[in-house]
Amino acid sequence: MPLTGTRNLSALVGAAPLVSALDAAQWDLPGAQILQIMFEIGDEAMTSLLPPALHPTIPPTLVFTVTRFPESPVGPFVLAETRVGCRSGARPRGFLARGYCDSPAALKALGERWGYPLQLAEVTLAKRYDRIHAEVRAVSKTILDMTLLNPEPVSGNDLQYLASLNTAQVVRGGSTLPRLIQVDPEYAFRSADRGKPQLGSFDADAWQLAGARPVHPVSASFAVADVTMPVIRYLVDPAKPPLESVERL
Amino acid sequence: MKFGLFFEISVPRPWEAETEYKVYQNCLEQVRLADELGFDQVWAVEHHFLEEYSHCSAPEVFLTACAMQTKNIRIGRGIVVCVPQFNNPIKAAEVAATMDIVSGGRLEFGTGRSATWTELGGFGADPDETKKTWDEWTRIIPKMWTQERFRYEGRAFSMPQRAILPKPYQKPHPPMWVAVTSPGTELDAADRGMGSLGLTFGGFAEQEKKIAEYRRRIKYCDPVGSFVNEQVNTVNFLFCHEDNEYGARTGQRLAGTFNYLAEQLLAARQAYPTRSYPNLGLLPALRREATSAPEGQIPEGLAIGNPDRIAEVVRKWEAVGVDRINFLLNAIETVPQEEVLASLRLFAKEVMPKFAAKPEPVAVGGGA
Repeated sequence: MPLTGTRNLSALVGAAPLVSALDAAQWDLPGAQILQIMFEIGDEAMTSLLPPALHPTIPPTLVFTVTRFPESPVGPFVLAETRVGCRSGARPRGFLARGYCDSPAALKALGERWGYPLQLAEVTLAKRYDRIHAEVRAVSKTILDMTLLNPEPVSGNDLQYLASLNTAQVVRGGSTLPRLIQVDPEYAFRSADRGKPQLGSFDADAWQLAGARPVHPVSASFAVADVTMPVIRYLVDPAKPPLESVERL
Repeated sequence: MKFGLFFEISVPRPWEAETEYKVYQNCLEQVRLADELGFDQVWAVEHHFLEEYSHCSAPEVFLTACAMQTKNIRIGRGIVVCVPQFNNPIKAAEVAATMDIVSGGRLEFGTGRSATWTELGGFGADPDETKKTWDEWTRIIPKMWTQERFRYEGRAFSMPQRAILPKPYQKPHPPMWVAVTSPGTELDAADRGMGSLGLTFGGFAEQEKKIAEYRRRIKYCDPVGSFVNEQVNTVNFLFCHEDNEYGARTGQRLAGTFNYLAEQLLAARQAYPTRSYPNLGLLPALRREATSAPEGQIPEGLAIGNPDRIAEVVRKWEAVGVDRINFLLNAIETVPQEEVLASLRLFAKEVMPKFAAKPEPVAVGGGA
């Protein structure tokens, strides 16, 4: 059967957000600008980045996403995620160990409602006609610098975004437990571009992805979309085998 | 109705020294038995880098071995990847002609373009280009087979005048097929006068609509080859057992394992934004639809269970317009080899006689 992750998440979970109620209502986030690039990574980290509940993709991948939300219930914010491409059973997903956000209010709300494991950082996203560039700076250091070069229009239907599995803690049956929270936003696209991906810098340790080494560019896209943050429907127990790990709420 | 085998050649971990050897030997044994039992054809895929799911990167070699170990069964390249980073159209024509000669005119020639980033990225192929190069190759390969000398100035491929040798044994050339995984490719097959090599495991209703449209469109086709190959070929899982419950349970385990492995791969669509590959991950969705059923029920279109149930399933496929069914027999050896062989024997004894094969061949062998 396919390879599975070997990572023990206990070190991560202590710092993960606590989601005490799994009944957060949807958020409508109009006009989000989403820059995403994908890289293949070295196979030495194929299983070490993921917990036992998840299979790595073949080949192993990282998906870097920086999204500017100009409107939200907590005001504008920019969110940066570096996710590991994976499968939960047979379903395509992106595992998020740590992300960054430029707004304390958004950081708190996203953590409490959807289990986003975020830290505060300076996150910028700049759209130009020849390129779209994003940078994440934390503790006075650039931990992600990525660019889509030479954007060309495509249809939003040509894009496919992964649902996230956010590392979090949840309260189940009176106990606090480590869980991956599935977050699968809906997207109504206004425009979309693709281009050549370029990764200027990436500090794997800062994203809790020690050993992840981007080696081969795959794709880059930029979209403007109305995003609906979903109601939580699924949890994954990270320590269980893939076919036993998913809990439907 | 004609019956065949379809091989992905999936190899379970751990990959020890004998693992791939053993799986290949099991497949060859299945082919030899199928030939003795009167199965009509054996198909093998061309896949690269697809860990566990398919270790069948040199199907021309495997199929030649099949031909050398059998007498009658036809051998199907399912498919030649018509993408220049994977193959070369001259070489593809030459290899196919040689296979046709050494097999005594038993080659079926399938064409396609790959659907995973795992493969396309591995070869450095541009996903935007694959449909275009497939289209160009399917027009020129039959001319390479039938013209004494061939020259071509094309978009992605050109060559000066040369004699491409040898020529196929079947005249004018082997039947040509298109692998149909993306929605609409069955119409591409019809428009070009090619057989539809369906790989989607769709249920009856879904397939009936597609087949009806294929039959309607092919009447007005502009054939790429020297003749129209109006045939609908489909893939199914086979596990036949006297005990219907055991047969269905084992067959569902086989189908579930296969689908699980297939969905670990990185589809082109999931990695690279392009209109060249359809949205929504349709192939996994179709596979799920076709192989899942409410608790306690058997998926309607799968050839699993006892002979009576399988015969009923085959009759329904025949009724919706399918000409041939090729069976996947195993996935990472989840079914013991002896049970696979017993299943084949039982199917041949109890089910095949109920579906007499049409006697006339599609293309006639005969050398010069």
